[in-house]
Amino acid sequence: MSHVILHVDMDSYFASVEQQACPSLRGRPIGVTGRPTERSIVVAASREAKRHRVGTGMPVWEALKACPQLILVPGNPERYLSVTQRFVEILKEYTALLEIYSVDEAFLDVTQEAPKYGGAIAVGEEIRRRFREELGECITATVGIAAGKSFAKLIGARNKPDGIGRLDDEEMPELLESTPVGDVCGIGRRIEDRLHRAGIRTLKELGDASEAFLKREFGVYGLHLHEIGQGRDSTPLVPYMEVPPPKSVGHSKSLPPDLRDFRLALIVLRDLCDQVARRMRRLGYMGRTVHCGFRVGSIGPHYGKQTTLALPSDDGEAFYEACHVVLEKIPVKPERVSNIGVSVGNLVATDRTPHSLLETDRRRDRLNRAVDRIRDRYGDRSIRLGTSLLVRPIPQHVGGFFMASDDLEIG
Amino acid sequence: MLTAVNEPIDALVIYRRGAPHPLLHAFRWKDRRYDVTSTHLVHREREGETIYLVYSVNCSGDTYVVRHNVGNGRWTLEALEAID
Repeated sequence: MSHVILHVDMDSYFASVEQQACPSLRGRPIGVTGRPTERSIVVAASREAKRHRVGTGMPVWEALKACPQLILVPGNPERYLSVTQRFVEILKEYTALLEIYSVDEAFLDVTQEAPKYGGAIAVGEEIRRRFREELGECITATVGIAAGKSFAKLIGARNKPDGIGRLDDEEMPELLESTPVGDVCGIGRRIEDRLHRAGIRTLKELGDASEAFLKREFGVYGLHLHEIGQGRDSTPLVPYMEVPPPKSVGHSKSLPPDLRDFRLALIVLRDLCDQVARRMRRLGYMGRTVHCGFRVGSIGPHYGKQTTLALPSDDGEAFYEACHVVLEKIPVKPERVSNIGVSVGNLVATDRTPHSLLETDRRRDRLNRAVDRIRDRYGDRSIRLGTSLLVRPIPQHVGGFFMASDDLEIG
Repeated sequence: MLTAVNEPIDALVIYRRGAPHPLLHAFRWKDRRYDVTSTHLVHREREGETIYLVYSVNCSGDTYVVRHNVGNGRWTLEALEAID
């Protein structure tokens, strides 16, 4: 018996949530941004904005050129996460085999449950109806139904927005013949280019290619590609209660023009190290491998290297010192950078790591845990590193709506 | 565009069985009662241990953003957007 997989994808998610919260934005082209300045990017565009060819990731200046009447709305991550929690609660009522794929996407395996509702289409329709009733009329979802995750996502994308589509077995040959390889989730531009160079442009051609060739070109992933080309996808769902442990913990930040001076970027990096360390302590992990990198120019090259600590750590200061070691290794010494980031890998569970016997380490650990307790109680901004105050003020949102006086400045 | 207010209000709410949050029915601000005609969105925010419920509601065509501190029970009119 083949599986029945539903792919639920929220339509223009962040923009729809903003339109739901603020009716004056409905029916108007809006772009959700990090900060509503010309140098920011559009994180999500409303359907009305998409009609003017405003797309995700487009710089604000370009979006305004494409759609001069575009309304810029600063993003409110807590609001989106809150709505996500509610739609996930709804989805949990239909099956335990639920994979939360991203903040606005989920896969459900309803092979067992679908007959009870009158079929997979009926399940999809009911989910969409409940979203409208319980989340709001603007927050819609598209549902794709197929026997595998990749095809459910593909068929959903073809029925956007606010639609539902099912791929039946007899439609598969035509779909394989007519679908460019780049349309499938997991085949990005680089893999697509390599497939094109090998003369493979459609899924059917991918399925007809020799398995040995694909394995030689793409390793084990080549076998998955071959399977997709033959209309099969056995990628298992990862149920939300079985999320695998993290492989690394990292943060990066795109810097506003005022902070692109390398000296100021290091202040941001210190804060990022602190955030990474706090997340690791919260997750109960320590790490040894510290990777640090930066980007020069808006679309310029990215430089990064890594170093390994003598012992696992969950201390922001240790990570920052390691970052300096890494930055020394990078031959490029730019005066200005547009993005900077740090990630820590090679993780081990804290309770499986021996405690340091050095008093300085133990004091540092006590300090970190005391700071964590303060932040747990009063919020992440209640206690901060003195250096981070050189960059002020912290952007304030009122209910997620931008107030003209808010901005990020150099202190 | 929303205009910031940030003033305390009295709220009349209904705790309905099975609802994910209390329903804001009406509120009193500056000696005037505002009846909620519809709720656009309610979302949860967190600052440390303090949990807030943020209501975006419609009262006679205007949009009001009301914040409820779940810990101390206080209600605040955070912002409003009046019809032009």
